[in-house]
Amino acid sequence: MNYKKSIIISLILGMLLFSCSNHSNEQNEINIGNSQERDSIGLINDSILDSEETSFTLPSPLQIAYVFKKSGAPFASSLLNDSKNVTRYNTNNYKRAINFGIYSADLAYCIFNNKNQEAKKYLAACQNMGSYLGLNQAFDSDDITKRFNKYISNEDSLVKLVSNVQLKTDILLEQNKQKHIIATAFAGAWTESLFIASELYSKEKNNKVLASLLEQLSFSEILIKALKKHETSEQEIPELIKTIEKINIQFNSIHSVKTTLEKNQDIDFNQMHMTSDEFKTIAEMILALRQNMTI
Amino acid sequence: MKTTLKIIFNLSLLFMLMAFQTGNVLCNAKELKEKAKNKLDPYKYDNSELTKIIYKNKETVKEIEVSLFIGEKYRFIFELEALPKQVEVQIYNKSKDAKNRKLLFSSKDIGLDKKEFDFEISKSRRVYVDYVIPPQEAGSYTGCAVLMVGYK
Repeated sequence: MNYKKSIIISLILGMLLFSCSNHSNEQNEINIGNSQERDSIGLINDSILDSEETSFTLPSPLQIAYVFKKSGAPFASSLLNDSKNVTRYNTNNYKRAINFGIYSADLAYCIFNNKNQEAKKYLAACQNMGSYLGLNQAFDSDDITKRFNKYISNEDSLVKLVSNVQLKTDILLEQNKQKHIIATAFAGAWTESLFIASELYSKEKNNKVLASLLEQLSFSEILIKALKKHETSEQEIPELIKTIEKINIQFNSIHSVKTTLEKNQDIDFNQMHMTSDEFKTIAEMILALRQNMTI
Repeated sequence: MKTTLKIIFNLSLLFMLMAFQTGNVLCNAKELKEKAKNKLDPYKYDNSELTKIIYKNKETVKEIEVSLFIGEKYRFIFELEALPKQVEVQIYNKSKDAKNRKLLFSSKDIGLDKKEFDFEISKSRRVYVDYVIPPQEAGSYTGCAVLMVGYK
């Protein structure tokens, strides 16, 4: 009799427990399309998108700098955003994210040019901006400053170290439902890299630097798509998108770019060129955007 | 009394587990990405994307557009262990809305049961990774997939 009672009670308890978890699963399905969901196992979901929506990956500032270095571009410290300006940007999340990206680009540029003392300053700037964004864990867990000093004369080790921080940053921002910061920071890094490339090209007219500049400009299209997914996350993003769209239009109207796209040919940036007017227009747009980001 | 409680507990657990018809798998971004990173060397980490996979009653496709530098070599690492049911990974040179796109890779060729694999590519500006999510008629399933991109 006791045994029978035990079975009945167990069955009831089992069904009750099942129906509780099933109810929260149903809630999960009903709420598809909303952000900030918590599923039945208590995990924070990423923003749940319609299954037809495309996601985008963006290159890291390290990779942009790595590719740019291959163009043979020289180092010019005067072009970088002063690392002492950090406190200027702790006003809102948009400024923090944009300048986190800018300083990341500056850090990468220093590393690949073996300017290690400058790199240390930019690492500190990234760490400061990161702390304003709640990314302390990404830097602290690696004891980054100590390790940076240890490997300071080894480019490969420094790149690995900074890549690890990049990965931890990506994970944290994903977990904290702040993927818009990834896209915004990339906009900052992209702008800074374009600015450095365009300034160096204006001085030396190196064709490989030009090819690198054009290739970086070609990322404007995917950046616009990535930012549009987060258009409502920060009030400054719509205006940023408009500005980048104008740069994208200007890029696509460069004669050699337009001709290649019209013929549906594979793009070879090394075969492309810009007239001085075309360059002047686009360089001014890049400068204006960068100034707006760093004031 | 103790024995009775023990029986009740064990049987409750059993009934609950038996009645569990849903397959929601733990999506731990940190663990999955760290596993993927172990397979990157000698490529350097560039970026990664965690994609939530929801199985519906019809086949669906989730697409990721991946922008690349044309002169670089890339390794894509896929971590699919957090998927309760098989998902095919396809890689194309154009988006799913384009005509005449070319299939560059399908995980069918290496076996759909593989939970971790990689793909290498170079001389491309852009590729499109499609997760082809099969239909599920009964139950509710979610999981996630990780794509990690490395360059050299």
